[in-house]
Amino acid sequence: MISKSEIKTLLDEEPRFNDITCSLQSVPKLPKALLKETRETVAIARKFNKEVVRPYALELDLKMHADPDYLPYDFVEKANDWGFYTMWLPRVFGGRGYSAPTMAPFSEELASACLGMANLVGVHYLGVSSLAATLNTRMIHKIFQDTVNGEKTGQPCLISTAITEPGAGTDVEEVELVDKADLSCYAEKVKGGYVVNGTKVFISSGHLSTWHILISYSDLGKPSENTVVLAIKTGMEGFSFGRIEKKMGQKGCPASELLFKDCFVPDENVCLDMHQMKFPRSKRAVATALLDDVLAASRAGVGAFGTGVARGAFEEAAAFASETEVEGKLLINHEWAQSMLAEMYKNVTLARGAYVETNYAIGLYGTTKDLLSKPMYYYSKFVPQFWIDKVIAPLLKKPFLTQMARKNRFKTISEKDQQLTSGMGSMAKFAGTDAGVKNCQMALEMMGQTGLRHDHRMEKLLRDSKLLQIYEGTNQLNRLNLFKCMVARNIPQAKVFEED
Amino acid sequence: MPTASEKELKLLEKAAAEFAGKELVPNREENDKYPFGPFFDSVLDKAYELDFFHIVLPEEADGMGHGMRALCTILDCICQADSSLGGIIFTCTAAQEVLLAAGENKKLKQIASNAKKVADFLIAFPVFNNPNEIKPAAGAVKKNGKYLLSGNSEYTVLGDLAAQAVIPSKTDGQEGYSYFLIDLSDQGVQKSKPVHSLGLHACPAVDLELNDVPGDLIGKPGEGKQYFEKMTDRLNVAAAAMSAGIMKGSFKEAFEYSKMRSQGGKKIINWSEIKMILANMAVQIKIADMCVKSASQDADSRNPGWAAGSRAAAIHVQSAACDMTTDGIQVLGGVGYMKDFGQEKRFRDAKHLQALLGIAPLKKIKYIDSMIR
Ligand SMILES: Cc1cc2nc3c(=O)[nH]c(=O)nc-3n(C[C@H](O)[C@H](O)[C@H](O)COP(=O)(O)OP(=O)(O)OC[C@H]3O[C@@H](n4cnc5c(N)ncnc54)[C@H](O)[C@@H]3O)c2cc1C
Repeated sequence: MISKSEIKTLLDEEPRFNDITCSLQSVPKLPKALLKETRETVAIARKFNKEVVRPYALELDLKMHADPDYLPYDFVEKANDWGFYTMWLPRVFGGRGYSAPTMAPFSEELASACLGMANLVGVHYLGVSSLAATLNTRMIHKIFQDTVNGEKTGQPCLISTAITEPGAGTDVEEVELVDKADLSCYAEKVKGGYVVNGTKVFISSGHLSTWHILISYSDLGKPSENTVVLAIKTGMEGFSFGRIEKKMGQKGCPASELLFKDCFVPDENVCLDMHQMKFPRSKRAVATALLDDVLAASRAGVGAFGTGVARGAFEEAAAFASETEVEGKLLINHEWAQSMLAEMYKNVTLARGAYVETNYAIGLYGTTKDLLSKPMYYYSKFVPQFWIDKVIAPLLKKPFLTQMARKNRFKTISEKDQQLTSGMGSMAKFAGTDAGVKNCQMALEMMGQTGLRHDHRMEKLLRDSKLLQIYEGTNQLNRLNLFKCMVARNIPQAKVFEED
Repeated sequence: MPTASEKELKLLEKAAAEFAGKELVPNREENDKYPFGPFFDSVLDKAYELDFFHIVLPEEADGMGHGMRALCTILDCICQADSSLGGIIFTCTAAQEVLLAAGENKKLKQIASNAKKVADFLIAFPVFNNPNEIKPAAGAVKKNGKYLLSGNSEYTVLGDLAAQAVIPSKTDGQEGYSYFLIDLSDQGVQKSKPVHSLGLHACPAVDLELNDVPGDLIGKPGEGKQYFEKMTDRLNVAAAAMSAGIMKGSFKEAFEYSKMRSQGGKKIINWSEIKMILANMAVQIKIADMCVKSASQDADSRNPGWAAGSRAAAIHVQSAACDMTTDGIQVLGGVGYMKDFGQEKRFRDAKHLQALLGIAPLKKIKYIDSMIR
């Protein structure tokens, strides 16, 4: 009826079969234990919500209203005690070794209770993945060890990511734009390291973090080919914190200004320097891969945040409707309210579908591809600790391992795969976060006066949700990235970010 | 019906715009900190001196006797800068309108002529609840010919500022509910701390707990619903004007910012995606303006269908303001989310105002119900 070559041709037509069936392709390849692991992480998150987040979220938010400079060490210590800052660090680096795809459902849970607190955990992993994307095994090992030790000693060691500058937000999230950016954070090559001058802004958890993965440039005229990723430790000379932003919501998670004044960063803290090694690809392609590797996953994570807050809003509205009499009968028994709640439920489900599918895509074609193969998965779970300590850990410090990992990663970059994961990441981000804001608005409409009150939680959810449409690239940028990755690839005459 | 002449309207608009620019804009961030910062007493005093609380109050009750166009003009200008003051004016006017609907002009005159300071003049009112939707939690019993109120009045706006309040209450043996004027300094009145809320921070609400508080019946017992409906028919358009003001403030800030901020090597206003957002905002403002203008004129002239027009204007403009202020933040990117700019406050305030006079979707149901009848 149909030949093999015909099938291939037809399925390569848009929408490509591979692009629209990521879950279907993925599931048979995945280790069975991943389901068990996901169940466990979701249950842990629910327990944490009950015991820590819900009882404290409103109080913390109010505290921050009263004193915007308050730093929520208390919460961070709790998350540290529960092991959340090492939970997704690989075992070979001393972490608890949970698999990357289990993080998003966990984030959804936390976000359904409090986005600020979810971000206090989530943004640490943005730092983790920014560092991991450099594939500098020595630095990864060193910094992850600090986090592991921080857990043991009860002194949380968080990692932040600093890329945004006062003059460049959207521009630094997109390689096509960065060469036109108004950049000011300059890393000058000097003997034995770099000297950094400039400012980074809006850095989530900045004041709370011990390590900051700084994305800077050694030539501000051509940043796309001169990216330098540096590890900055709090306390380093020439590095200080500026203001804490006064945000509308997600108050629990501070956004900080990072100031660099003749800050000397020794060579050993250079995580990636495009000039220090030969890459199998152009510098620009490497810069794109770096950004895409981090952002595809983190944007899916923000999609999970959006899903979570959409769910939180749904739950608040449903609870209010179930116990409030309106015009003589329970609101839940008004047909229009049932319809609104169904709409909100749908928004949650579709938003979840978007981030889940994106994570399947990343598992098939992105950074977690190798880690999720069955042999690798079980090896990383069950490799004996003494073997890690005696054999693997010393190897991680060897430069050749970094070289090998980079060669392997950057050689195998496929533009097609990158487009898919990056495009899907953007889609999950704006789908989830738009759903989050929408549901908050709908819930407030249903709840009337009650919804306005801080003590009823719903108003906080709306304030918190709005940030999701901005960070990790505005939703506008993410729409354009989706267009670039998924639509323009088939339309040669389409040009993105080149409007006259 | 009394209306202001075009000339008077222009003067009012000028006065309100000047006042907003001078008194409200410079301290918006500070004023919004309440109750974690000081209350803007001096601003309130000045607004009182300028008679912003007297706009629709009849002349015989010491008011200006203007109509809805005048009120809408003032509220629009003020809410472009800071809708908290708009909320205070609206709340007090809503309470006045309940008294007027019940024919209690004398009581109003008494309040106005006895007032030595703004607090004496202000009337607190639970302006975010329609008591027909969510029943009053206070009850009144008649003892020795006088009513005594007990129970709660949640989210009573201006409860910690005003000398008196208009409170809905169930009355023994009556269907429906009645309105009562109570003295907020009565010893049976217990006030919560200001209820921290989504928006309108400087238009605070408190929860009142009443214990045998003497209540002066407004109009007839059991007729509260009628008075409320009469008040909302008139004030819906004023609510729409407040949201329209917020929309204008949001657009102005977004427009100016987009002309200054560069990304991708050019001013962001030159990216057509940003132009599209701004265009949508501008179109919504034009429509909102047309809605408010036409509905307020109809209300003042009592043209057929004026009340429906007023309701439809509120439903439409309030919803548009919620969507539009979201975009207003978005155009500014990260800084739009910060207190240093006005956009985040407008986003909160717009959503807050959508709950004025009751639950938003129910306002739509009532609109169609009024057509079915
Ligand atoms: C609370 C908070 C926490 C954050 N956390 C971090 C963090 O941990 N680390 C970090 O590095 N950054 C962080 N950010 C920064 C965030 O990623 C940026 O705010 C975001 O990328 C937008 O940049 P911007 O704010 O400079 O806005 P701009 O880039 O100035 O954008 C302004 C407007 O212009 C639009 N625009 C810009 N360029 C174009 C274009 N080419 N075409 C069409 N429209 C365009 C945007 O969509 C937006 O609407 C955070 C931001 C906030 C607010």
